Amino acid sequence: MAFTPKTAACSGRINAVTLGTGDAAIVLGGQNVLPFHTFDGPIENPPKIGVEISDLADAWTAPGLVDFYAGCSTMAQRAQKAASMAGADFLALNFEGADPNGANRPVSHCVADAVAVAEAVNLPIVIMGCKNMEKDAELFTKISEALQGKNILVMSAKNEDYKTVGAAAALAYGQKVCAETADDINLAKQLNIMLKQLSVKPEQLVMNIGTAAVGYGYEYVASTLDRIRLAALTQGDADLQMPIIAPVSTDTWTVKESSATEEDEPAWGNAEERAIHMEISTAAANLTGGADAVILRHPAAVAAVSKFIAELI
Amino acid sequence: MALKGLDIFKMSPKKNCKECGVPTCMAFCMKVAQGSVSIDKCPYFSEEAKAMLNEQTAPPMKTITVGGHKLGGETVLYRHEKTLVNKNLFAVCVCTDCSAEKVEKKLADLQKVDYERINERMYVEFVFVSNKQSDPAVYAELVKKAAATGRSLVLECWDVACAEAALAVAGKNCILDGATPENWEGMNALAVKSGVTLGVWAENLSDLYDTVKKLEAKGNRNLILDVTAATAKETLKNAVLVRRTALRDGDRTFGYPSIVNVAKLAKGDDRLQTAYASMFIEKYASIIVMGNMRYAQALPLYGLRQNIYTDPQKPMKVEAKIYPINGADENSPCALTVDFALTYFLVSGELERSGQPVNLIITDASGMSVLTAWAAGKLSATTIQKTFQTLDVENKIKNRTLIIPGKVAVLKGEIQEKLPGWNVVVGPQEAIQLPRYMRDREYEAAAKAAAGNAAAVEQEQQELTFTELLEKKVPRIELMDMGVSYKGRNPASRAFTVIGERIHCIAPAIRKAMDERDPKPILERAAQQIAAGANYLDVNIGPAEKDGPERMIWAVKLLQENFNNVPLVLDTANKRAIEAGIRVYNRTHGKPVVNSADAGSRIDYIDLAAANDAICIALCSADGIARDNEERMKHCHNMLERGLALGMTSDDLWFDPLFLVVKGMQDKQMEVLQAIKLFSDEGLKSTGGLSNNSNGAPKAVRPVMDSALIAMCMMQGLTSAIVNPNDKRLMETIKSCDIFLNHVLYSDSYLDV
Repeated sequence: MAFTPKTAACSGRINAVTLGTGDAAIVLGGQNVLPFHTFDGPIENPPKIGVEISDLADAWTAPGLVDFYAGCSTMAQRAQKAASMAGADFLALNFEGADPNGANRPVSHCVADAVAVAEAVNLPIVIMGCKNMEKDAELFTKISEALQGKNILVMSAKNEDYKTVGAAAALAYGQKVCAETADDINLAKQLNIMLKQLSVKPEQLVMNIGTAAVGYGYEYVASTLDRIRLAALTQGDADLQMPIIAPVSTDTWTVKESSATEEDEPAWGNAEERAIHMEISTAAANLTGGADAVILRHPAAVAAVSKFIAELI
Repeated sequence: MALKGLDIFKMSPKKNCKECGVPTCMAFCMKVAQGSVSIDKCPYFSEEAKAMLNEQTAPPMKTITVGGHKLGGETVLYRHEKTLVNKNLFAVCVCTDCSAEKVEKKLADLQKVDYERINERMYVEFVFVSNKQSDPAVYAELVKKAAATGRSLVLECWDVACAEAALAVAGKNCILDGATPENWEGMNALAVKSGVTLGVWAENLSDLYDTVKKLEAKGNRNLILDVTAATAKETLKNAVLVRRTALRDGDRTFGYPSIVNVAKLAKGDDRLQTAYASMFIEKYASIIVMGNMRYAQALPLYGLRQNIYTDPQKPMKVEAKIYPINGADENSPCALTVDFALTYFLVSGELERSGQPVNLIITDASGMSVLTAWAAGKLSATTIQKTFQTLDVENKIKNRTLIIPGKVAVLKGEIQEKLPGWNVVVGPQEAIQLPRYMRDREYEAAAKAAAGNAAAVEQEQQELTFTELLEKKVPRIELMDMGVSYKGRNPASRAFTVIGERIHCIAPAIRKAMDERDPKPILERAAQQIAAGANYLDVNIGPAEKDGPERMIWAVKLLQENFNNVPLVLDTANKRAIEAGIRVYNRTHGKPVVNSADAGSRIDYIDLAAANDAICIALCSADGIARDNEERMKHCHNMLERGLALGMTSDDLWFDPLFLVVKGMQDKQMEVLQAIKLFSDEGLKSTGGLSNNSNGAPKAVRPVMDSALIAMCMMQGLTSAIVNPNDKRLMETIKSCDIFLNHVLYSDSYLDV
């Protein structure tokens, strides 16, 4: 009795969502098989990698990162440098400096940064906010307006502010919106439904279903990814067929494994190398679970994850 | 699929003749599945059924043990379906091509990574010893060095002569990863002779499958499959298809653990290796072979593994102990909270943020959150006192300030009494308020005030007799005309029993009324529920450690004297309170109900009910939610047997399957419904807090969900539920279902009667 594997594509399909314009435009999603299950069916659009550029990047201390961005003092300069990384598919501008409880950068400065980046590079742009609901609403609206026609993605619309963010970014300025929830499949579905009821089109939506560094409650992320992908693909649940984006770096660089100095933990060895492996491991776990895009910080992590994806497709 | 007790039950004679010595066929089948009774004890099982049982009792995937490590044994593809069982293990490879210095360094290095993370030892469990030449002496020499590390071994060797020499020096704790479609016979003989697990590899899955078949035909089922291919893509395909074939398609030929050599795939790229290893942690490698393992790789990989292999059905608990924060010492104040992992992470994080030294004392609360633990009696003055004794806090800490969670401010006085000398102060309601609370040192003033009061509190506590209690502590019962009276109920009626849930001290109004012995709010809610058709009223007085008996006596007398002896469900974690309540209980309209026993620490509530001729609600769980119906029914039968042995009738045990919340456990709802059917098939009564299913759902949706579920439950044979009788839609559904079930005779006005 010879062995014949039972392989088949799924009945449901992930929506294909385009970011950016022209030659550099990318497509997230579009597949009807589980992650890297090429034996079940072809994967037309491999997962994508975004490079995080923070408006507080001056505070980054990892020597490799500092070296890589040597001579850069603006977001636009860093963006140009980041765009030269092999494997960089899009740029993720992290305006964490806008936080009123932190550097409290004015929205006008952030908008100017985003515009300068868009002029300097042609890669698709993703906008990350400062997690302050009111400031982000203004930030997302103003940047969406300034970059109209660039087909950017704003992170994120949450249960509390989806109306403002969805109406401004998606409806008024035609951009893409990321629906953000925290490890809760029911809420993820509900938020997509509410955004659709607001008249945001499904192909304007991606999801951030919750993130964690590996070792830090990642099981919740893993199971939410599994359940959402199975619902989208095997049950054909149209309210969960949005591509998934995982901002990895913002979680992995702050945990002890990455941030403890070699003096603090002599046995652990070089801190930068640890941070790179944390970033790679968390990204690979997310991609294995179903993320269609990851956001990374270190060029070495981008290189490794890019190779990883290429080998598996 | 493995054969479970319930599957055996399907083939059983279902006579309940007790000839086997067990009360029911179901209970007997459960015991057979557990292996505690032989199927031959039953004279009525057919020979065919017995043969089929033996064939089918094999699990879908074998568990292989090597050097004390368990591999495989999985039953599901995704952890959310149940849980993953045996975590991936790691190996570092050494090779006959390596120089002696390199081998020595590798073996030394792999032993340097050895640490503990949340109660788990993290280290490289295996050395993978690869043979690339044909001199048996050379390979044996290398194996000897690897064995000297004391770690278990994987011997990758396709040459029979080399393998034989290696096995001679390797000891028992090893896997011979050497069978191929070409050499399998020789390797099989070697492995069987040495009693070691045999690894099987082939160019493609079809050849692998055939080779396993041949080995199985020779009687060897101590196998592991090396699914490593030339590329990562092909290897993932192999790993997924092997596992999927075994677990989803039920083909046991591939029901073995697997080895993936990521070192081979990464070709010296350590970072790529980390990416591959992360993927194969999630996708089905039992042993992951690395080229090396430094902390940079170990920290993320072991962290990921620990997360993925966490049982999603068990509450995440942290160890109960004293956690010094911000360099706290014996002179720093103490703060206390429960052992639920998320609570711990939140509270310790906020305390760290405060920058103030503080000793965080984690008390054992079965992994529940603060309020849930309090309501279940798992966080009380007594449990805290026990924690203080177990951890020897008294001698370890000199400071005498103890901050308790604001949510259980009500416990302050009781804790103060149980911990003489300590100044108990009430902390903030939410963890996020802690940094400010600690920085402003609000607790210092409060501690001083507490110290002043402590002296006053220290008067002698005297045990009162029941009569004294009744006379001195229970206020006179006020009779108020609420305009309703309990109408009674025909004991022979098969109609659904509605237990009103609204007198519960989690409701602030009720808690206050109980504390102040204020009858009005309680009587109002009682009247509303009785008017709406409640057959029983649940009376939850909270854990009430201190004044439980007098509280319960008061509540029972108040409700029964005002409402024509309405039957009651006595609900508290304080057993003395239940006993006291039963002593004043009037049985005109039925026995009192004790809420509730479980199959774990509260099993003695059954004894309490039996001794007092009461009905007992029996929650089919022990420590946390039952894994599946197999376990639920095991708990059910344990409690049933205990009750019957104590002289109860099976009608006096109402089994509670434990209703689960849809938002979070949607995929378990059908299991709960099936459990009700199992109770019903055995003629057992059932009940439960049905409205838990819709917890967290919008207010407008809850009645719809509750009504739909109760209809499905009644179809399955549910006989009672603890619900809100003032939910009109729900009550109409229940009354309608009673019509269809032919338990109540139809009339046009059936909704009104």
